[in-house]
Amino acid sequence: MYKNLSRGYLLLLLLSPLNVKSEEFILILKDHLFYPSEIYVPANKKLKLLIENQDSTPEEFDSFDLNREKVLYPARQSVIYIGPLSPGRYEFFGEFSPNTARGVVIATEVTNADN
Amino acid sequence: MLITSLLMSINQLLPVVILCLLLNGLVDLTRKQLLVILGSGIVCSFAYVQSAAIVSQLFEHRGLEFTQIMVCCIIFIASLLACNQQKWAASVAIISAMVLYLSHYIIYIVGFWQAKEAAEPLLIGTLLGVGICFSFGTLFYFLLETLKTHFGDNSLHILLASNATAKLLIVIDLASQIDVLDITTRYVDWRGFIAENSELGRVLKALMGYEATPSLTALWVYTAAFSVFVLVCLLIGKKSQFKETL
Repeated sequence: MYKNLSRGYLLLLLLSPLNVKSEEFILILKDHLFYPSEIYVPANKKLKLLIENQDSTPEEFDSFDLNREKVLYPARQSVIYIGPLSPGRYEFFGEFSPNTARGVVIATEVTNADN
Repeated sequence: MLITSLLMSINQLLPVVILCLLLNGLVDLTRKQLLVILGSGIVCSFAYVQSAAIVSQLFEHRGLEFTQIMVCCIIFIASLLACNQQKWAASVAIISAMVLYLSHYIIYIVGFWQAKEAAEPLLIGTLLGVGICFSFGTLFYFLLETLKTHFGDNSLHILLASNATAKLLIVIDLASQIDVLDITTRYVDWRGFIAENSELGRVLKALMGYEATPSLTALWVYTAAFSVFVLVCLLIGKKSQFKETL
């Protein structure tokens, strides 16, 4: 059973677009606040958000703009992939503490200096 | 804390209430059966919550999404099978929905119960939320009864199809969240029309998986899965009609 599950997972990994490494952004939740509260990211690229909940209580990362929802367990790391995003602002919040835990992902066009 | 508890309880209980009433309308569960199912759902939700923190770290922090994807697929398939008067399938669908939604609320309650002066707003918010869901459920029950009387089981099949198909939209979002699926950016933007976090938006989300900014993939999957669900229900209905005439 476990062997079959592992095989299935490996197959999923091979079929998934994971081989393309996504740029990583770190987000920390502390005292029911997100740090940084504004994340500037390049538009039209897939991104990896590594979220670390440093509080003693759980939280739920929620975003209507990004269509993302994930429980963040205390003292554990969580990963959420977002994008590719069109240029603009994408708000996110902690569903358990919506008044304090708020932030925004700002996607901007990156102009290549060499061109 | 009071408003958060109220919103959380409505958000997590309403989808369970809606699915439960839809399936009950089709399968006619007895009161005893319903109580056993709800009890099992609560036990399974607690069991899931107990293991969720560990599961979340599996498969490179993607264990939770994999289990939620599995639960959503179970709800869709079990709902489809329940259209053929399969009581066990209806039970599986309700218990799975409780695991999917109720576990979130249990995590919230358990996490904040110990916090300073949190118990009272948590309790009041939960009671208010349960009350609102109960009122909505009562009205929805009579609406379903009226629909069933005037238009037959097919009206319930269509509502169940849209509700069950909505779970596949969750699968798409979860798969995209863990980078298993490449999703195109938002295809349409209905936020100016109905915001997802408005009252109507929340009810529509619980009822039929309304998303204000769906991707093209989500629209395709929803249309295809909804059509397949309705088609299979119609075939099942025709088959049972044919059996009755024999």
